[in-house]
Amino acid sequence: MEDAIVKLTSKEGETFDVPRKVAMMSKLVKDTFSDDDDEDDEEDETEVKEVPLPNVTAPVLKKVIEYCTHYQDEEMTPIQTPLKSGTLDELVQAWYANFVKVDRNMLFDLVAAANFMDIKPLLDLTCLAVSILIKGKSAQELRQMFNISAELSPEEQAEAQRENAVAE
Amino acid sequence: MTEAPCERRTSPSKRMRLDVTASDFAELEHLHPYGALPGGNVFFAEQARSAIRPSDLLPDDDAWLHILGYCNGRDLGCLVRSCRYFYVAGHSPELWRDLVLRQCEKRAIRNVGPTWKDTYVKLFYSETIPPHRPMSIPGIYSDTLYRLHSCRSFSIPKVWLDRSPTDTLERVSVNDLTVSQFKSRYEKPNIPVLIEGAAKDWKAFERWNRPEYLLQHAAGRTFRTTSGVAPLPGNFSLDAYLKYCESTILEEAPLYLFDRTALEPGSHLWNDYMEDLKSSCPYWDPELMKSNGHDLFQVLGEGRRPDHTWLIAGPKRSGSVFHIDPNCTHAWNAAICGRKRWIFYPPGVTPPGVHPSADGDEVTLPLSVGEWIFQFWDEHMQRKQSAPLHERPLECTAMPGDVIFVPHGWWHLVVNLDKMNIAITHNYVSDSNLSNTLKFLETKVDQISGCRDREESIKPEHLSEEFKKALKQQVPELLSEALKVPTWTCRAWKDAEAPKKSVIEQAKEAGPCPSFSFSFL
Repeated sequence: MEDAIVKLTSKEGETFDVPRKVAMMSKLVKDTFSDDDDEDDEEDETEVKEVPLPNVTAPVLKKVIEYCTHYQDEEMTPIQTPLKSGTLDELVQAWYANFVKVDRNMLFDLVAAANFMDIKPLLDLTCLAVSILIKGKSAQELRQMFNISAELSPEEQAEAQRENAVAE
Repeated sequence: MTEAPCERRTSPSKRMRLDVTASDFAELEHLHPYGALPGGNVFFAEQARSAIRPSDLLPDDDAWLHILGYCNGRDLGCLVRSCRYFYVAGHSPELWRDLVLRQCEKRAIRNVGPTWKDTYVKLFYSETIPPHRPMSIPGIYSDTLYRLHSCRSFSIPKVWLDRSPTDTLERVSVNDLTVSQFKSRYEKPNIPVLIEGAAKDWKAFERWNRPEYLLQHAAGRTFRTTSGVAPLPGNFSLDAYLKYCESTILEEAPLYLFDRTALEPGSHLWNDYMEDLKSSCPYWDPELMKSNGHDLFQVLGEGRRPDHTWLIAGPKRSGSVFHIDPNCTHAWNAAICGRKRWIFYPPGVTPPGVHPSADGDEVTLPLSVGEWIFQFWDEHMQRKQSAPLHERPLECTAMPGDVIFVPHGWWHLVVNLDKMNIAITHNYVSDSNLSNTLKFLETKVDQISGCRDREESIKPEHLSEEFKKALKQQVPELLSEALKVPTWTCRAWKDAEAPKKSVIEQAKEAGPCPSFSFSFL
């Protein structure tokens, strides 16, 4: 059973063979299994399963699998709040800090994949990484970073400014 | 008379319509303070208003709230000024509550503002910043944000505010209930009951409705408050907590004051009800332990027994999600100020949305009353109306002055209906549940609570032995009666099952199988 393989299929149809234990870090994958295993048929467990992930592209899925595989050898220490530091290397182990040093698009894709596949520690890590991108930025810098056009109207802006003590 | 048969035919559905439906909660008391609307509304909106969130980057509101949860106050303050979407999402009161609670882990909250953001600013920046005035922002369509707000602001159904036919729990007037009747009709058969007016003549009933009285007797103290959805408890001075309860917009599952030390024997607040309790409800008179078998944990001594008395206070919509009371105890709960809605499910009948683990150690369920209502109300109603009689849930509203008897093993959910609600609750073991409590203390040591964090209390692993020893000295006949009962008499608990055998073990026991063999045998 330990050696059982799960096939994860990306948006493009590319299939990745993943040890069952690694794939099961995703609650989405796990639930797919338990739905099928209703009859408690233990023999089923050795059968190779395929889980389609139509929201996740192959490069992102590859990263997700990399994360889940590493997690088997070195569990990520849970992130403590309030954050003791503003740098990733002081909040999680080195491997994990390096893992999220990726370009912004990949990082957001990873957040979305972790959210869709329901992998709690990966969602924590990637959301933490986004919050660190936000850290220390001004409202204008944030607008540029997130490519935001829907600004507050001038009146709304003025009202928000009035009570902006915490943002200075 | 021609209409009579017709009337009879329609009556069942009429009766069903009388009860509360999910839509009775959905009309919210307040609009979303920042103007968020359900996602579906986007189809009726002008084109220009719809593309308002940075959706090309990250389409999911849950993920955004997760990210914002890691931001500090300064960064949240910048985000809410950067765009419309972040203005709305970044003002979620839960975010600012968590910032305050995390920074006040070791200090008391003594000053609160109209919103959690104001409290944060007051505590960490300045007392003089003008208060936060939520602006309604057009064009934010989000099921996540709207649903979160629904859990903060669901309507309290009107029929809950008074006695109504939707109340199915038995009720009895305090004047019509003797000690032996209480024991034989309710405690022994383990049936919950509402005792009308049982606390009406307590001094607390008059005094505690005056905030200045409570403030006077709670000066210098802090009170522990908790919520299933908050990351940490909050410690408040009473005046700050009362002010918090008055906030117009509270977060989902507001902090609920549950204090086990405020009513210590001999304390002023304890004196406000204890003597009166003895005369109005003699079945709960602790002094009659030996004669009527009430409150047997007394044999251990006050400091050594598990926690048993709580002062409870909370704002509208605060409350407790489904649970069974600790240590296999019965309880009584007196509503002193404000009304409470109670929902009960019998022992062994798991309420909708509640999933206990096989050993009962852990329970998975929605963490706020609002979330449970929005997800499971229809299923609850179905069971209230058509489950087999002995499995049906029971409901009632406790008016101020009413006392509810909560028998051991019953699941219950409680939600506060008024702006300010104060209650007293005592948990106890009596001759009626002693045999089950003894089994519980012996076999479910991991589930014992109320004695882990106090130095003088007896620790879980010794509680069973110590309790039996003290019972033997003080009430030996009750102990020997209880020990004669061989099995659980309440369906809430059962003995741990023998570990399930693996397929291989089963196959081994079944003997050789001609068409199948294990190569490694």
